[in-house]
Amino acid sequence: MLRFDLSKKLGETELLPLLHFKGQIQLTGICTLFGDSGAGKTSLVRALAGLDDDFSGSVCFKSNSWQGEKHFVRTEKRKIGIVFQEPRLFPHLDVLANLQLAGKKADAPLYTIKQLAEILGFSDLLHKRSRQLSGGQKQRIAIARAILRAPELLIMDEPLASLDKPSRLELLPFIKKLGEQIPTLYITHNMQELFYLSRQMLLIDRGRVEAIGDPNLLFLDARLSLVKHAHSGLLIEVNKITWQPMFAMASGRIDGQAILLTGYQEREEKALPDKLQIKVASKDIIIATRPIKHSSLQNCLQVTILQIEPLVAGVALLTLTTGKQKLLAKITRKSLIELKLQPNLVVFAYIKAMSIVGEAE
Amino acid sequence: MLSELDSSAILLTLKLAGLTTFILLLIAPPLAWWLAHSQRIFRPLIEALVALPLILPPTVLGFYLLIAFSPDNPFGQFWLSLTGSQLAFSFSGLLIASIIYSLPFVVQPLQSAFANLQKEYLEVGAMLGFNGPERFYRVLLPMLLPSFIIAGGLGFAHTIGEFGVVLMIGGNIPGETQLVSIALFDHVESLEYGQAHLLSLLLLGFSMALLVVIYGLLQKRQRALQYA
Repeated sequence: MLRFDLSKKLGETELLPLLHFKGQIQLTGICTLFGDSGAGKTSLVRALAGLDDDFSGSVCFKSNSWQGEKHFVRTEKRKIGIVFQEPRLFPHLDVLANLQLAGKKADAPLYTIKQLAEILGFSDLLHKRSRQLSGGQKQRIAIARAILRAPELLIMDEPLASLDKPSRLELLPFIKKLGEQIPTLYITHNMQELFYLSRQMLLIDRGRVEAIGDPNLLFLDARLSLVKHAHSGLLIEVNKITWQPMFAMASGRIDGQAILLTGYQEREEKALPDKLQIKVASKDIIIATRPIKHSSLQNCLQVTILQIEPLVAGVALLTLTTGKQKLLAKITRKSLIELKLQPNLVVFAYIKAMSIVGEAE
Repeated sequence: MLSELDSSAILLTLKLAGLTTFILLLIAPPLAWWLAHSQRIFRPLIEALVALPLILPPTVLGFYLLIAFSPDNPFGQFWLSLTGSQLAFSFSGLLIASIIYSLPFVVQPLQSAFANLQKEYLEVGAMLGFNGPERFYRVLLPMLLPSFIIAGGLGFAHTIGEFGVVLMIGGNIPGETQLVSIALFDHVESLEYGQAHLLSLLLLGFSMALLVVIYGLLQKRQRALQYA
C-alpha cells in the first residue's frame, strides 16, 4: 500500500492549499494517473519520489514512512525507478555506460542489460551516444535504466509519448508485464494505454485526487471530471473474432451481436486473437429508435437504456447495456426529448468509430 | 642556452602554478556552486570580491597583501607564530597571493558550468541511488570534466603570467621567489636581450599551446552540446 497526504501552499495567507493530494494505492500492477495537463500529476509523482521537498504531509510506502512531520527520506534512499517525461540520458556517456551506471546501487535487478536491450530493441545502439539517438530510442533506454536500478516502485511519466504508434504497441505488453513484477505509477493521457495497462486509476483534477478506482467504473461515473472528456467511453470485449475476406475486415461478437472491427485491417496476416478489447467513445454512438437504412453506418447494437444523466447544459449521457456489457453515449438534450428516450427502453446504438485497445485477457 | 638561474626560475614557476591550480581546484568548486545557486542577499558582494583580481591592478592586490603579510599585522603575526617564518618574500606568501589572484579564473568557468547544468541530471543521479558526494563524482564531475579542465588550465596559465603581485610581495630571491616573469624583467634591465628572448619565447609558446588546448576543448564541448 502506498499512502499519501501531501499539500503545498503558494503563500502563507492562502486558506486552501494550491495542491492537496490524499489517497492510498494498492501496490499490485499498474496504477495510472489520469487527468488534464496542469492538473498536478507530475507534481504528485515528484513529491512521492522525494524530488520536491516543498510539500508538507506524509508518505508511507508499505511499512516505511518516507515523509512525515519531522523526517524526509531522500530520493536516493527510496529505491524508486523513474522514467521521466524527457529521457535525460547522460550526454557524456554512451548507452552502455548510462545503463551500467544505473546498476551501481542496485541489488539484483530483474533483468540484465542484455535482456533489456533485446526486449526493448536497442541491442545495436549500446555504443552510441545519446545525441545520436532518436527520441523514441532514448526513451527505451531510459525505461531500461529505471528497471536496472532494481526499484521497489516504478514511476513512469508519459514514457511512450515520444514514440510512434507501432513502437507504442510493441512496448505496451512489456510494460504491462513489468507492472506485475514491480508496482508502477504510470502517468498517461492516452486512453488506450490507460485501459490496456491498469485496473487501478488515480484521477487527478485541479490539484486534487478526485477518485481512485477501476477505470471502467470511474468512466461510468457522470459526477467525475472525466465526463468533460469528449472522448470518454468504455471498454467493450469482442469475442469470436473471425476474418471476413470479402470485406478484408475482421468481425466479432459483443454479447452475441455481430460487429465489424473497423480499423483492424493492419493485422490481416497475423493470427487473429480470440478476444479483443475495443473502446467506443461516447460521442461516436448514434442512438436511433428505429433501424437506420441507406447509410454508411455499419455497426449497430441493440441496447437497453439503463440510465440517463444530464451532463453540461444541453447534453445528456446515456448508459446503455448489451446484456452484460455497458456503453456510454453522449447525445443532445434535444434528441433526448424528441426521441422520447427513457430508462429500460430498447434502442439501436450505431457505432461511428471505435479504437482497438488490445487483446483481452 | 638557459642559465641555471633561468631554469630554476622556470621550475619554481611551474611548481607555484601547479600548487596554486591544485589548491584552487579544491576551493573553487564549492564556492562556484554556491555562487551559481545561492539566493542570499550578500551573494553579489562575495561574487565581486572573487572577481576583483580581474580588474584591480595587480600592484594594488600586492600592496595590500604585503601589508597583511607583515609581522606587524595580526595575520602576518599569526602566520609567524604558526610556522616560524614570515610570509612576505617567501614561497608560501607567493602561493597565497597566487591563489587569490587566480581565483576568478578558476571560479568563473565552473560557476557558469554549474549554472547551466540542468538539475534534471542530478535528479537522475538521486533516482539511481547516489547521495550528494556520489552525485558529485559520478555525475557532475564526469559530465563537466571539460569545464574543470578549462578552469584548471586558465588558473595555471594565469599564475604563470603573474608579475605585479610577485613584484610587490615576492621580491627576487632565486630558488625561493624568483619566477620567470621576474627573471625576464631582470634580463631586460641588465640588457641581456638574448636571455630575455629565450624566456619570452618559451612563455609565449607555452601560453599559446595551453590556450589552444583549452579553446579546443571548449569547441568540442560546444559541438557535443549542440547535438545533445
